[in-house]
Amino acid sequence: MSTIFDITLILLLIACSVAVVRLKDLLAATVVFSTYSLTMCLLWLHRGAPDVAMTEAAVGAGITTVLFLIAISRTTGRER
Amino acid sequence: MIRRALVVALLIAVAVPLLLAMSQLPPHGSPDTPPNTHVSPYYLEHGAEEGGAENIVTAVILNYRGFDTEGEVTVIFTSMAAVLAVLMLAKPDRAPRVAPTPELPVSVVVRFIVRVLAPFIAMFAIYVILNGHVTPGGGFQGGTILGALVIALSLVLSREDADALLPRKPEHLLQAAAPIAFFLVGMAGLLYWGEYLYFPRDEAQRWIGVLMLTIIEIGIGVGGACVLIRIFRAMRTE
Repeated sequence: MSTIFDITLILLLIACSVAVVRLKDLLAATVVFSTYSLTMCLLWLHRGAPDVAMTEAAVGAGITTVLFLIAISRTTGRER
Repeated sequence: MIRRALVVALLIAVAVPLLLAMSQLPPHGSPDTPPNTHVSPYYLEHGAEEGGAENIVTAVILNYRGFDTEGEVTVIFTSMAAVLAVLMLAKPDRAPRVAPTPELPVSVVVRFIVRVLAPFIAMFAIYVILNGHVTPGGGFQGGTILGALVIALSLVLSREDADALLPRKPEHLLQAAAPIAFFLVGMAGLLYWGEYLYFPRDEAQRWIGVLMLTIIEIGIGVGGACVLIRIFRAMRTE
């Protein structure tokens, strides 16, 4: 059961990272990237590292997303 | 086409040695590997009474590896200075090539939810910082939550109200709170016990160790939060 959970999360991680690279819309890519961080946070928690999980949730899903959004709002928001 | 093949060949050339090296690594969490047979058992057995922290992660980060962490918080502070230096390089006469999108009014739902949740998030952040030596978390985690809270609030509040959350004047000092707290605690150890960053080990002086850990945690929390807020503000207003 535990292994299935881990494998599901890792497959989701791979899907997210491929999607981040492939997406042309930077706003969508940022949202998917924050999903990646949340999945990673679950994985950390499941592997018994709650400290790292908290940092991942706050920095990865929270603050980097905000910084990316500000950067996008100052550009056109599309990858050429 | 040839270029693509070259790229694939290069990727394989990098990936194969890495995967081979990975296959030689001991299995994850195996109890027979050197890191798990010498240092880890010692930390796990003695960390709680020696380190002054029941949370073994905090004991390792702040006590056993205190010097490493002091270097790390200095790196965080330095990287903020570097980011600010890059952002402020942009001369005011060099107009941005792309016109920034006009600021949209914040939706009522977002504003209401952020305002309702703000006190609870603040309390959680303070709890995480102050309880770092007992429960998972600590200065880094709590400081990030605190910084994220101020960033969320400054997205929904007016510019003046957001600036009042962290006034410009104490901001400069608070950004350096983490290295300063480390330095003060370290110097206290040097003056009192003759050893930089010394934590008392015997049972009677246990509370002093906990106090020193708490001072460092508060410093890291406040410093980390202020660094994040400063970068956010610089990116937003520049």
